[in-house]
Amino acid sequence: MAERLVGADIAPPDLHAKITGRARYAEDFRAPGMVFAKLLLSPMPHARVRRVDASRALAMEGVIDILRADEVPSRDGPREACLTDTPRYEGEPILAVAAVDEETAAAAIEAIEIDFEPLPFVIDPLESLRPGGPNAYVDGNQFSGQDGWSDFKWTDTDFAKVDAGEMPDPSCPVEWTKGDPESAFAESALVLEETIVHQSLTHHPMEPRSNMAYWEGETLHAFVSTQSSQQTKFALAGALQIDPENINLVSEYCGGGFGSKIAGTTVMQIPALFSRKINRPVMLRITRYEENYVGRARPGFQTWLKMGFLQDGKCNAIDLIIVQESGPYGAGDFNTAGMIADLTYTPQNMRFRGVSMYTNTPPKAAQRGPGGAQIISMMEPILEKAGRELGVDRFEIHRMNAPRGDVQFGPRNATLTSVHAVEALDQGREMFDWDAKLAISGKRNGSKVTGVGIGLSPYTAGSRGRDGMMIIRPDGKLYVHQGIGNLGTHSIADTARPAAELLGYNWEDVEIVWGNSARAYPRSTVQAGSQTTTAHTRANHAAATDALRKIREVAAAALGGSASSYSVDSGRVSGPGGTMTLGRIAERAIAMGGEYSGEVLPDDVHAQTVPAAQILAGEGLMGIARDNYGGEGNIYSWVAGFAMVELDEETGVVELKEYVGVTDCGTVIHPRSLGAQVFGGSIQGMGMAMTQRWVFDPQWGVPFANRFYTARPPGFLDIPADLKWGAVGIPDPQDPVGAKGIGEPPVGAGAAALTSAIADAMGGRCVCRTPLTPDVLLAEIEGRPMYGRLEQHVG
Amino acid sequence: MDIWRRAANPWGQDVLIGVSWDLMWSAVIAAVAFVIGHALWVRTRKEEAHEPPADVPAGIPEKIERHSFASRAFHWVMSIAMLVLLVTAFVPVMGWQFNWVDLHWQAGVLLILTVVYHVIHAIGWQDFWSMFQLGVSEGIATLKHILSPEAPAPPKAGKYPFDHRMYHHVIVVVSLAAIITGVLMMVRIDTPLWTRNPYLFSDTTWGVMYVVHGLSGVSLILLIASHIYFALRPEKRWITWSMVRGWIDREHYLEHFDPAKWVVTDVGMKSADGAAPGTGAVAEQIPSAKRED
Amino acid sequence: MAKIRDMIPAFELFQPTTVGDALELLDEHRGQAWVLAGGLDSFDWFKDRVKRPSAVVDLGGISELTGIRELEDGIEIGAMTSLTEIERDERVRSGFSVLADAARHVATPQIRNQGTLGGNVSQDTRCWYYRSGWPCYRAGGNTCYAAAPQAMNREHCIMGRSRCVAVNPSDTAPALIAVDAKMVVESNGGSTVHDAEDFFIGPAIDITRMTVMKSQDLLTRIHIPAKWADADFYYEKIRDRGSWDFQLVSVAAAFRKSEGKIEEARISVNGVAPFPVRLDAVERLVQGTSGDESTASAAGELAIQGARPLRHNDYKVAMMRNLVRRAVRSVS
Repeated sequence: MAERLVGADIAPPDLHAKITGRARYAEDFRAPGMVFAKLLLSPMPHARVRRVDASRALAMEGVIDILRADEVPSRDGPREACLTDTPRYEGEPILAVAAVDEETAAAAIEAIEIDFEPLPFVIDPLESLRPGGPNAYVDGNQFSGQDGWSDFKWTDTDFAKVDAGEMPDPSCPVEWTKGDPESAFAESALVLEETIVHQSLTHHPMEPRSNMAYWEGETLHAFVSTQSSQQTKFALAGALQIDPENINLVSEYCGGGFGSKIAGTTVMQIPALFSRKINRPVMLRITRYEENYVGRARPGFQTWLKMGFLQDGKCNAIDLIIVQESGPYGAGDFNTAGMIADLTYTPQNMRFRGVSMYTNTPPKAAQRGPGGAQIISMMEPILEKAGRELGVDRFEIHRMNAPRGDVQFGPRNATLTSVHAVEALDQGREMFDWDAKLAISGKRNGSKVTGVGIGLSPYTAGSRGRDGMMIIRPDGKLYVHQGIGNLGTHSIADTARPAAELLGYNWEDVEIVWGNSARAYPRSTVQAGSQTTTAHTRANHAAATDALRKIREVAAAALGGSASSYSVDSGRVSGPGGTMTLGRIAERAIAMGGEYSGEVLPDDVHAQTVPAAQILAGEGLMGIARDNYGGEGNIYSWVAGFAMVELDEETGVVELKEYVGVTDCGTVIHPRSLGAQVFGGSIQGMGMAMTQRWVFDPQWGVPFANRFYTARPPGFLDIPADLKWGAVGIPDPQDPVGAKGIGEPPVGAGAAALTSAIADAMGGRCVCRTPLTPDVLLAEIEGRPMYGRLEQHVG
Repeated sequence: MDIWRRAANPWGQDVLIGVSWDLMWSAVIAAVAFVIGHALWVRTRKEEAHEPPADVPAGIPEKIERHSFASRAFHWVMSIAMLVLLVTAFVPVMGWQFNWVDLHWQAGVLLILTVVYHVIHAIGWQDFWSMFQLGVSEGIATLKHILSPEAPAPPKAGKYPFDHRMYHHVIVVVSLAAIITGVLMMVRIDTPLWTRNPYLFSDTTWGVMYVVHGLSGVSLILLIASHIYFALRPEKRWITWSMVRGWIDREHYLEHFDPAKWVVTDVGMKSADGAAPGTGAVAEQIPSAKRED
Repeated sequence: MAKIRDMIPAFELFQPTTVGDALELLDEHRGQAWVLAGGLDSFDWFKDRVKRPSAVVDLGGISELTGIRELEDGIEIGAMTSLTEIERDERVRSGFSVLADAARHVATPQIRNQGTLGGNVSQDTRCWYYRSGWPCYRAGGNTCYAAAPQAMNREHCIMGRSRCVAVNPSDTAPALIAVDAKMVVESNGGSTVHDAEDFFIGPAIDITRMTVMKSQDLLTRIHIPAKWADADFYYEKIRDRGSWDFQLVSVAAAFRKSEGKIEEARISVNGVAPFPVRLDAVERLVQGTSGDESTASAAGELAIQGARPLRHNDYKVAMMRNLVRRAVRSVS
C-alpha cells in the first residue's frame, strides 16, 4: 500500500540545495562573455531628464554601452517602463550602463553628467486631494483609459472636517452601499468613529530582483527572480513584444516575493533589452538599496471608520472611507479592504468610499494579504473596543460577527465556497486558553501591563480552471510539471501530492519538474493571492485523473479485462489480467501514441499548454487536463490569531509573550509547510504592526529606512520561541481535494492580534496607527502624541 | 586654491554652500603681508614736516572733542562684537575648536544692536553728512600723495579725512552684507526665539547667502587687521587715543584738519584737564549739516 | 555626478601588524587614511560611496590590540577585542557586568563577533540624513536636515545639540562612562589618556567628529580601573526590536553602596545627545539616599532638565526620565 501523501510531512525536493547552498538563484547564473549592468536611479521624486552626457562614462575602459529610456517599451498614462526620462519617484531607474565588471559600471554611472528638472511632487495623498494641492503627475492625479487624466480634489468643506478631526463626507471614485447604513446607525446602541492610519511599507524579500539575460539568435534566455514561472514567461514576452515560445525562462528558486514578483519584475526587461543591444549576456544585480526603490511596497491607508453596534455586540453598520497612497503606478488594495470589512463583520448595512491617489513614492503592489491585512489590523481593535464598551466578551464579539456559510458580502453579494471562521476562533480559544488569558488582561507586574487580543483575518485562497500536466516515463516515475514557480512555499511539491496519491505513488518516485520553461509547463496560475494550493491541487488532480484513466486503459489493452477493474498502487497497476509496472505502462503508452503519450491533447486545455505538451509528447504516459471541476462562490481562507503581550508603560516597549494562529484552509496537505505559512505570515503581520516602517522626508520626497536594519522587519527575538498553530481541517466541499490557500490571511491575523492586544494593554485605548513602536506608545501613555492623526510615512 | 565650497544637495543638484576656507587663509596672509609691506614702505618715505600754523586762531580750545562718549562706547562695543565674531568664525576653522555657535550669534545680535544704535545716533545726533561727503578732488589728491611723496599733500580735511571716510564706507558695506546674511542664517540655527527652518529659502539662495556672509567675513579679516594696524602705528596713535579719551589736542587739530571744514568753538571748554571738552561743529557751508552733540 | 550605492570603490589597503606601524601609516596618510576595526560602520560608508578614503588601515592583524588583561588596578581591554569576547569574559562579567551587558545588547551575535570595543565607541552617528550623504553640517555642509520643521527625527537628540542633532549610537559608551574607563589614544606624538566621558565630543566642539580622536590618532586600549569593580550596576537599552537595532535611549549606571545608602554613583545615558551624557547632577542627588522611589523620581526629573525635543522625539524625554528612574530604583 502506497503511503498517504496528503496530510503528511515531507522534505520538499529543493531543500537540500537550499541548505547546502547549491540552489541557484537568478544572480548565481553566468554565461560566457557576460557583462554587468548598473542602474542610474532618479535622485528626485518627480522630475524630467533635461540632459544626459555619458561621454566620459563611455570612454572609460571596460564600459560597453548605455541603455536609455527611449530604447525600452513604454506606454502612456500611469504605466511603468523599465527605464524612464520622467521619473515619478526617487529611485526610479533612468538608464543602465553595462561594463565588464560592476565596479567599472558603478564608476561609469558616477561619470555620467545628468541634469534633471524637478517637478512638483506628492508624498501624502491627502495633500493631493486638497483643493489646489500638488499632483503626482503633471497632467493630474486620476487616470482612466477612456478619459485620460483628470484632477480630482475634495472640497474645502471636506477638508474643514478633516482638519477638525471629523469624518468628512467626500465624493470618491469608488463608492458602494448595501442595506441602509444611515438608518442602521440610528438604531445602533453604540457608534464608534475613528481615524486610522496604516503605514506603507516595502516588501523587502531576502532575494532582490536580480536577473540575467542573453540571446541565442531569436531565443531569449532569461534568468529571473519571480514568484510564478509559466506566467512570467508570458509577461516578459508581452513586455518585450516577442513570441513567448522564443523565451527560455529560468527561475529555479525565488528568495521571497510577498506579491512583489508575481509575474516577474519590471527590471527583468533591462538585461533582455540591453543584451539584445550589445549582443552579450547582461547581469543586473539589484542591491538592497535599489530593492528598496524598485522592489514594490504595500500601499498605506488613511482611513475614517464609523462602526455601529447593537446592544448585544453585533455590528450592524459600517461607514468606511479609505484614501490609498498608491505610488506612481497604482494598486487595488483599498477595494479589497472594503470587501473584507464587509465579509469579516457582516454588518448588512455598509457604505464604502475609496480613492486611490497617485503619489511620488516607490511603486506599490500586492503585499501578502493586500488590503485585507491593512483593514483587519485597523478594525479588529475597534471591534474589541466595542465589546469593551458594550460589556460583551471580546471573544464573543469576534465570534458573533464572524460570517457563517450563508454570508453574502460586498456590493454584489459575493458568496463563499465554505467558511469555518467560527470553528477557527473556537479552536484558537481552546489552544490559547483565552478565558484564562482574559483573566490576566490588564494585570500589572511593575511597570508592565498584560494585554490580550484577537485578530480574525480572511483572504482569497484559490482560483479554478488551470491546466495540469504530468508524465509517467519508462523509468516508472511520475514527473509532475509545475509552472507555478518555486517561491519557497513548497507549493511546487505540495500541489502535486494529492495527484500522486491518486496515482498510488510513493513520494520517492515522484519528480517535480520546475524552474526552466524548456522543461515544459502547463498553463498555470500566477503564484499570488494564495491561489496556488487550490488551483493546482485541482489542476493536478484533474491531470492525475486523466493519467489514471489512461493507465487503466493501457493496462486493460495489455492485460485484458475492463479498464475500470484496474487499480494502481506503489508504481504498479493491477487488475484481472495481472500486474504491470507503471514504467512498462509508459512504454506501452508511447507505443500506443495518441492521447496516451500526449500526441493528441484534450480540446479544452489552454493554448499556452499546447506547445509545452508537445515538448513532452511521446516520452511516456501523459496525464493532462483542464480543471473543469467548477464551483460556486469565492474561495477564502481564514486565520484566527490570538496574542498576549506585555506593555512596559515606562518605555512603550511591547513584548509578545504568546501567539496562536488557527486556520481554516480546508484540507491540510502538508502540515509542516502550513505551520510555516501561518507563522511566517503572522510574523510578517506582527512586523507590519509593530516594528517595520518606511519613512519619507516630506521636504525632499525621499524615503529613509532603506536598508534592512533601518526598515526593521521583525527578528528572531521579537517573537516567542513557542508560537502555536492549528488548523480546522474541514475540506472545502466544492473542491476535489478540499484544500484552500494560506499565504495571505495570517498577515492580518498576526497584525490584528497584536494591535488588539496592545490596545487592551493600553486599557482599551486604540492608538489607531501602525507601526506601534515604543515611541508612539510611550508618547500616547504620556498624553503627548507626536504624530498627527492622519500623518503618513512617519516613524 | 578654491574660492567656493560646493556640494550635491539631496537631489544631487550642485549647489554653493559657502566660500572656501582657502580664502580665510588668503585673507590672513594678505593681512600680514599688508602690515609688513606697509611698515616697510613707510620707512622708505621721508618724514613729512608738519608745521603747525604759527597763529592759533582765537577760540580754539586746547582739547577738541572728537568722539562723544556715546560714539566711543559704540565703537568699542562694536569692536568687541566684531572681534568675537571674527574669532568665533575663523579660529575653529583654523584648528582651535570650541563651542563657537552661540557666542557667534550672540555677538552678531550685539553687533546689530550697536549698528542700529549707531545709525540712529548718526542720523539724529551726529553730523551724518560729514561722513558722507564725496570729496573727489580730496580723494585724488590723497591718492597721489600716497603714491608719490613728491605730490603735494592733500588739502587738510574736515572732521573725517578721505581715507577714514572710505574705510567707513567699505566697513559699512561689508558689515551690512555680513549682518543681513547673518540674520537670515540665524533662521537655520536654534535660538530661544524661533524654531529653525532651513527651508525658508531655496538651496541656491542659501548658497549665495553663505557665500556673501563668507566673503564679508573674510574681507573683515583684512579690514579689521589693517584698522588695528593703523590704530597702533606711532604716527596715528594720537587719533587712536581720541577714541579712548574722546578728544584731540589743538596741535593735532590744527596740523591735520581744516578749521574751516571742521569748525570748533570753545564753548564749554574750561581747561586742559577739564571734564567737558570743546564741542566740534561742522562747517556752515554744508547745508544739510545737523547739530552735533 | 550621478549617485550610486552598494558598491565599494577601490582603496589601498594596509594591514600593519604593530601599533607603531599603524601609527606611522596614519601619519603618512594624514587625513586620507581610514582606520578599519570590525568594519561594521566603515563598510556601510564605503558601500554607499559617501566616504571614500584612498587608504584604509586595517587593524585586524595587530595582535597587541586584542585581548583582556588584568592589571593591578583593574583590567585593560585592547581596542580590537571583539564584543563577543567582552560579553563572555569572566573578569568583565563578574567585575564590570555593566560592560558585558552593554556589549551583549549590540546588534546581533554575528555583528558582535566581528565588532570591536574600539570600533563600537568610535563609530559614527546613524543619522540617516547624514548617512545618506546629504551635505549637512557634519558632512561639511551648511545645514542640518534632521532638525528641519518637518524632518524625520524620532531617533535624534533631545539635548546637547549644536546645529547637529544626531546621537551617538554606541551601546558600550555609557557603560564605559559608568565604570570610569580611561581611553588610551596613541599617535606618533605619544599617547594621551582620556576619561571615557571626555573621549566623546559634541558638535559644538567639532561637528565632524564624534570623539576626541583626529585622523592620525588610534584608540589602542581601554583601562577600567578597579575602583568600580563589583559595584551595583544597571544597564538598559530601549530599541524598536529585539536585535539588530540601535538604541532609542540607553542607560548605564554604577552605584557604590554602604549600609543601604548610595555612597557614590556614576550614571550615563546614551541616545539623547550627540555624545553619551554623564549625569553628574543626578549622581550628586542620589548620593546618601537608598535609591527609594521618591529619589528615583527626582533623579528622573533632574536628568531631563533642559531637554529640548525635536518635532518627533518628544517621547525620548519620558523614556530618559523613566530609565534614569529605573536605574536609581534598582539600588533599593
